[in-house]
Parts: sequence; C-alpha cells; structure tokens
Amino acid sequence: MKSAQGPRGNEDALVRAGRALRLVLLIALAALFLIPFYLLLRNGLATEQDITSADWTFFPSELKWSNLRELFDDPAVPMAHALLNSTLIAVATTLGTLLLASLAGYGLARIPYRFANTVFYAILGTLMVPAAVTFVPTFVLVSSLGWVSSLRGLIVPTLFSAFACFVFRQYFLGFPKELEDAAHIDGLGHWRTYWRIVVPNSRPVFAAVGTIVFIGAWNAFLWPLVIGQDKDAWTVQVALSTFLTSQTVNIHELFVAAAVSIVPLLLVFVLLQRYIVAGVERSGIDD
Amino acid sequence: MPISRRRLMASGGSLAGLVLTGGLATACGSNTGREGGGASGAPVISQWYHQYGEPGAEQAVKRYAAAYRKAKVTVQWRPGNYDQQTAAALLTDSGPDVFEVNGPTLDQIRGGQVVDLTDLVSNDVRGDFNPTVLAPKVHDGKVWGIPQVIDTQLLYYRKGLLSDAGVEPPQSLDALVDAAKQLAEKLKGKKAKGLFLGNDGGAGVLGGTPLFASGLALITEDGRVGFDDPAAARALGKVHQLHAEKSLLLGAPADWPDPSAFIQGLTAMQWSGLWALPQIKKALGDDFGVLPFPKDGPNGKPAVPVGAYATAVSARSKDKAAAKAYAKWLWVERTDYQEDFALSYGFHIPARTSLAEKAERLREGPAADAVRLATEYGYAEPLLWTPAAKVAYQDALSRVIKDGANPESELRAVVRKTDAELRRVRKSA
Amino acid sequence: MQRTQRSLTARLLGPQNRNLWFWVFVGPFAIGLALFTYVPLAWSVYLSFFDAHNTVSPTHFVGLDNYLSMLGDSAFTSSLWTFVVFTLFIVPATYALALGLALAVNRLRFAQAFFRSVFFLPAACSYVVAALVWKLSIFNGVRFGLANTVLGWFGGDQTAWLSTTHPPWYWLVIVTVRLWLQAGFYMILFLAGLQRVPIQLYEAAAVDGARAGWQTFRHITFPALRATSVAVVLLLVINAFQAFDEFYNLLSDSRGYPPYARPPLVYLYYTALGQGQNLGLGSAGAVILALIVAVVTVAQARWFGLGRKEA
Repeated sequence: MKSAQGPRGNEDALVRAGRALRLVLLIALAALFLIPFYLLLRNGLATEQDITSADWTFFPSELKWSNLRELFDDPAVPMAHALLNSTLIAVATTLGTLLLASLAGYGLARIPYRFANTVFYAILGTLMVPAAVTFVPTFVLVSSLGWVSSLRGLIVPTLFSAFACFVFRQYFLGFPKELEDAAHIDGLGHWRTYWRIVVPNSRPVFAAVGTIVFIGAWNAFLWPLVIGQDKDAWTVQVALSTFLTSQTVNIHELFVAAAVSIVPLLLVFVLLQRYIVAGVERSGIDD
Repeated sequence: MPISRRRLMASGGSLAGLVLTGGLATACGSNTGREGGGASGAPVISQWYHQYGEPGAEQAVKRYAAAYRKAKVTVQWRPGNYDQQTAAALLTDSGPDVFEVNGPTLDQIRGGQVVDLTDLVSNDVRGDFNPTVLAPKVHDGKVWGIPQVIDTQLLYYRKGLLSDAGVEPPQSLDALVDAAKQLAEKLKGKKAKGLFLGNDGGAGVLGGTPLFASGLALITEDGRVGFDDPAAARALGKVHQLHAEKSLLLGAPADWPDPSAFIQGLTAMQWSGLWALPQIKKALGDDFGVLPFPKDGPNGKPAVPVGAYATAVSARSKDKAAAKAYAKWLWVERTDYQEDFALSYGFHIPARTSLAEKAERLREGPAADAVRLATEYGYAEPLLWTPAAKVAYQDALSRVIKDGANPESELRAVVRKTDAELRRVRKSA
Repeated sequence: MQRTQRSLTARLLGPQNRNLWFWVFVGPFAIGLALFTYVPLAWSVYLSFFDAHNTVSPTHFVGLDNYLSMLGDSAFTSSLWTFVVFTLFIVPATYALALGLALAVNRLRFAQAFFRSVFFLPAACSYVVAALVWKLSIFNGVRFGLANTVLGWFGGDQTAWLSTTHPPWYWLVIVTVRLWLQAGFYMILFLAGLQRVPIQLYEAAAVDGARAGWQTFRHITFPALRATSVAVVLLLVINAFQAFDEFYNLLSDSRGYPPYARPPLVYLYYTALGQGQNLGLGSAGAVILALIVAVVTVAQARWFGLGRKEA
C-alpha cells in the first residue's frame, strides 16, 4: 500500500524504519533458508578432516572437486546411470500424469453426468488413504503383473494422482465457458474442443502441475527402491541411499551425492519459476 | 537380538536412518535370475544378499556363484532395509530362491515361507557349527537356515585415555558406570564423552545384553519369560544412570556400528561390532582393548551377543531341489569360500568351529580376545523372542534409559506382552 | 423389447452421448486409480479381519480381534496423540510462516524474484536430502554439528538434539525440516492470492483513514485471502496426516524406532512391514487411521463450507 496519508514527517520515518526492519528480517530468514544448501556444498567439497574438526571451518581449506570425480568413478554406485533413470522416470511420469489427470479433470468439470460428483469424491477420497499402508498389497499386485524391475513398474502405478486431477478439475470449473461454446457452435465435439481450445489456453496450469509432479517423481524413494532393485534400474534417490547403508559412513561422498541429486531440480526451478508462479496464480490450486 | 549387524549397517544409525524408507522397501528384484534361462537348460537360481559395506565382498560372492556348475546363479546385492525387502518379496513369486536372512523368524518358519534344510547338514557337520548361533535357526528339531558367519559386539576402550584418567578397564556394570562418569568429566574440555552405546543411549543395540549380564535370559530353556526378576530392573536402572550422569555420547553422525566416534576421539569407550576392529587397529595401533559387557550382581556373568545371518531357501522357489543343492554346495561343502568370506572382507568369526580355530587373523591381540569372549560368554537371541516382544522390550528400555521411567513397571508390561506372544506361538504350533 | 433396449442404450449414452464422453475423459484415470488404489485398499480391509502373519492370503478369520487389540495397544493410541500434537503445531506454524513470507515478499520493491526463489528453492529437495543435512550436519549431537557449534559460541553445552527427551528437542529438528521444505510452496500460493486482491479495496480503506499495516491486513488482506487460506490449511492437514518420511529418516535406526515422536504411519509400518509382518494387525490400524483422517477432513471441509461452490 503505497498510500501515504499526507506528508507527516515522523510517520514517514516510522514507515521507513518499518520497511528497513522488514528487509533486515527477510535477509536474515533468507540466510537461514540457504544454510542447508551451503552445508551440502561445504561438506560435499571438503575433506573428512575439515568436516569433523573440532573447530568449525566455514570454508574448507581446499575445495576438493575431486570428490565429484570420486563419486562418478565409484564402481559400486552407478551415479550417472541413476541420473539418467531418474530423468526418464520423472519425465514419463510427468507427461503421463498431465495427460490422464487433465482429461479426467476436464470430464469431471465440464461434461454433465449424473454421477460426476460421486466419481469426483471417490477420487478425492484416495487423498486420505495413507499410501505407506496399502503398500504391501500394491506391491504384490504389481509383482503379479510381472512388472518388477521394469520401467513400467516404476512409472505406471504412480500415474494416477488424485491431487493433480483435483487441481485440473478446479481450474476447468473456472475456464471461460464462452470459448467452449464457440467451439461447440463450430461443430467441435468434446474431444476436439479439449485439444484445440482448452489445452492451448491452459498452459500455465499444466506448467504448475507438471512441476509439482516432476518434483514428486524425482524425489520418490520408496517405490523405486522396491520395484527397481536391479542396479540398472536405480534412481538417484536409491543410489543416494546406498551411501547411507554402507558400513562406513563416508560423509563427504554422501554430501556430494546429495548435492548432485538436487542440481537437476534446482535447474528446473530456476528456469521455470516464472511459469510455476503464473500457473499457480491462474490454476486455482488455491481456491 | 540376532545381531543384525548387517542391518545395522544399513542403518548405521545416523546415516542409516536415512535409508529411509528403505524400509518398505520391499523388494523385489529383478527376475533376471529366473528368466534368463541357462543355455544348457540348467536350472537358474536367484540369490540375494544384503549390501555389505566391506570392499570386495560383492565381487567375492559373485565369484563363488560363478564357480557353481550345476546351475546358473545370479546374485542380487540389495541396498536399503534388507529384512523388510525380503519379507515382502517372500509374499510374491518374484522373490529369491536362495537368500541370506537375519533369521528366519519363527513366523516365517511357521508360515511355511522357508524350506526345511535339515538334510543338508549331516550330523557331523551340524556339530561343527557354533552351537550358540545355530540354535536360533532350529525349530522343532529341524534346521531352517545355515549360519554364514558369526557377528558379535564388544566394548572397545582406549587404553591411553583410561590410564590417564586413572580408570581400570571395568569388570562390573557398576565399575562401567563409574568409569564412564570419570572419563566424561576428564574429557569435558575436549568435548568428548566416556561411553558410546549408540545414538539412542543403548536401547537398540544393547537389547537383552544387560539381562544376560545379570544372569537372566530373554526366554528360558523351557520356553518361559526369562527376565521376570528384580535383577533385571536393577541392571536396566544402571544403564539409565549412565545416561542420567551425562556419561554417554549421543547424536554422533555415525552410529555405533561405525567406529568413527571412537577413532575421532569423541568417546573413550564404544560398544561396536567385531567388524570394526581392523579399522580401529589401523587408526589406533595398540592403544585399545576389548571387553565383554560387564557382569552385574551376584549371579551375573559377562555377556557378549552373537548372531549370524543364515542362508535360507524360499518355499516359493520354482526349483527347490536345485536351490537346496546350491545352498549346500556353498555354505556346507565349500569351506574354502566360507573361510574367504568370513576373513578376507572385514572381520567375522567363521560359523564353523573348525574354520574359526585355524584362522590366523583371529589368533593374536584384541582379535584373539574377542574370539575367546564370544566363545565363552556368547549368547544369541532365541527364536521364540518374537519381533512383537522385542519391540515392546525395546520401547521399555528406551523409556527407562532416556526418560528415567520406572524399570519394574516398564518390565512388567513387557513380561505380559512376551507371555501373550509365547501363548500365541504355542497355541498355533 | 427392441424399444426398451434402444432406450436403455440411449440412457446409458446420455444426451449427446455425454455419458460416453464423460467416461472417455475420466475412464482411463478412474480405472488406473481403482486398480492401484482401491484394489489394494480393499485388500487391506480384507486382511484386517484375518490373522495374517507373513501372508497376504490368510485363512484364519478373527473378526474384529485385530481392531480390538489395536485400540487396546497403548503404543498405537499414543502414536495417535503424537500425530495430533504434531498436526496442531505444524499446521499453524507453516501457515503463519508462509503467509508472513508472502506478505513481506509481496511488498518488496526490488529483489522480489530473488527472495521468492530463495524461499521456494527448498521445495525442490527431497526428505532424504533434507533429513541427511539436518541429522548429520546441523543437529547432530557432537562438537562439529552446526547447532552445537553455535551453542558453543555462547558457552552452551553440546546437545544431542535427536535423542534428548527432556526437553523434547527432537521436535525442533522434525518441525524445522518440514517448515523448511514446505513453507516456500505455500508462500507461492499466498503470493498468488495476494495478486488477486483488488487494489481498489486498499485505496478505499486509505480514504476511510485506515492505516497501512495491521488494520488493512486485518480488515482487507486477510478476509480476501480466505479461499487461499482454506486450501492451504486443507493441504497442510492432509500432508500432516501422511507424515512419514522425515520421522523415519531422522529417528529410525537399524534396530527400529524409538518410542517417542512415533506417528501412526511409522508404527504401522513396523507392525505390518517390519520383521513382525503382522499384516492383519497393521491393516486394522491402517483402516482405523484412514477413518479418522476421513472424518477430520470431511468435518473440516464442512466447517469451511468447501464443496458448496461446486455442488
């Protein structure tokens, strides 16, 4: 509120002081929020001695970039291959989820059907089911399909996100009806209206949901560990866990691996942030 | 607890915890083993190991498998929470044929998930296995798992730090409490502590050890609760004292299975596994010694937990005969491989007495002490000590140690729970 | 006969084949969800009525025994309380932090994108990575932990953050992980909400003599954010109910999980999937939990009047 109610001097000073205080507070908070990233880098690029020394070293005495090479050269953990797998899985999951959930969300929002609300609540209800609990039956089911240790098994069961469907439905509820009506008058059916009119006008919401799904897929750990146990099918998170499970804790390799594991996501974030924010603004996730 | 060292590693406490969800992890691995099909029509066997931390262990077990001629064996080396992975995989057809297991548990045996291996071990071979670690693999007189190597845990202490503080290596639980206190005071300036029993203060790793040290047992020979006795509460109270007097190291980045805290000088004494010995020796030379968990009370005797991962055969295996034949070949007949596996990668006591006796590396210094202690004072968790009872006991132990809960009343609840479990397994037996 | 059949088909297809089109759009998703969520769910409910140790095809029917022993299990009931305490704390805390960040960032005249990015970035991290940093580097209990180093500057004793139960420092660790990971995401939701508050409202308020700051927030901004607030609270509650990762990663070790800060999912995980493999008992607990979650969520939705808009 830029308002200013008139040029009264001390109030102005007060406002300015408040603003300065807010800025200081924000900078302090930002520093706090960045500490974990700093620690990832510091520990990842330091020697074991620097990390465990009795006095805190803010910056390692020498930056050991060789830790990185050590990580990628470690024959026990195929880090490069794991990065590839994670990328494949995250991209496929994102595209698949966007397709399925947006179609369903559109159907629920825009095609009148007597039981549409019932179907909607049946979908929404699954958000309340704790996933870790239906885990064993799901696993038995997937393995009886013969999908163990396959990309199919890693991707398909995770494609049906009730959350994504919910967001799309909310968004399409607010989609301008006039656009669709015009399409219908032009003789387009639901299918073609959807692809020619609705999708091209909804890019931000696809970007927003896509990012959220991508993050989730990249960070998923449990399911990949269970289904993709072959070294060839390891994802980054699974590879990371092998450092945690070894008998001897190799702190710097653990941290450099963790740092590497978040780089792709940070890139996605930095590059796409504008779209994410715009998408959230228009998607109705928040209403 | 059957020393699930392997598992432990997995967790390595601190780190390991991270393994996150590893837990659920179920498993299932690839079926490559089964589908690959031997070109010659030989059977195909899939064998699982949990991920050992020692360099070379994975290559070694793969080498053994490749040397087997009567079937094509594919080895799966599985990171993460192995017990849970195998437990889940055994519910499906995509599990292993032959697998190592921190058990098998009583319910796995009674549920028919593993195959009877009695005929694999003839009587003279059976006598060669260390009786303490073999006992929990036997149910109804039948053998359900073949012990691979013995894992054991001991109290490591830094000789120099103890003598600087004028402390003798403790021979009783009371002496341990005093020693840890004095050392912690002495080392305060170095921000180090007297004793490290794991980041949870010992609730996890000690398990039944204090009970054995006071002359009791988890389950008696005749299948009853073995710690319904005032001596139990007394011993647990002393472990709490260690915590209350701030003698214990807590929150180390690497948990008790890893000797880092001990080597880095964060603690003067540490409870850890025998597997840590080579690393400690390398870092500290001769400046350390090993002790059993010291005895407590008039009927007490020192206690050393021992246990073994065993090889078992899945009841869902498509070719049980071939799987059994392979298990017999590797873990009964090929003593050369068994010796190599126990001694060349890390440090374990071979499960076969004849091999343990001729092992050079176990004949001198602290290693020899460790072997002697494990033989003399070793105890293993009995098969009847079910996971549900164990969880109840561990919860109680944690509350006693950390919260100062009353040991008598906490133990009474555990006795009730254990009784109920014993009744359950007896009823349906 | 033929007519009724035709009309049946016609009824099934609906006017302009709408029913058909509905299922073309919704069907693939619904089938997948049914297969990968409802089938396992039904299976779990089925298991909960059986003595299912180490098996998913049990034969020994036990009726409600599993439910009774779960409800009589003090470890389970105390885990439910853990959960309530956690939810009562984390939901308002995340809400307040996210809203505060959004308000502060929103008014910035420069470097807005920078601050927004900084607070949003943690959302890209996994619980595995965050737990690793928290447990091994910030809140470990030894002298080279960051928190202990800072304490040391002020002469404090080193603290074992995750294993001290008096006072329960472990909550500090658990709560800060979650705050760090999710505050930024909700901040973005609030920022989006703030963009939609009509500027005229503030202008009108200024004319009426309302002072910028608390008064405008109380009477204009906060009410205008109602829809966003409702969505944020609902999402926070649902996420709190599913809490598992950070607890498991921070506190579990090879030997299991300590008896404190043990939410129901962690407890059930050990019951059903740990070596205990008591799938019947674990499923019963899961069903109880799912029912509680459902009741709370529906009550909440009613309270907020959610769902009316679309009904």
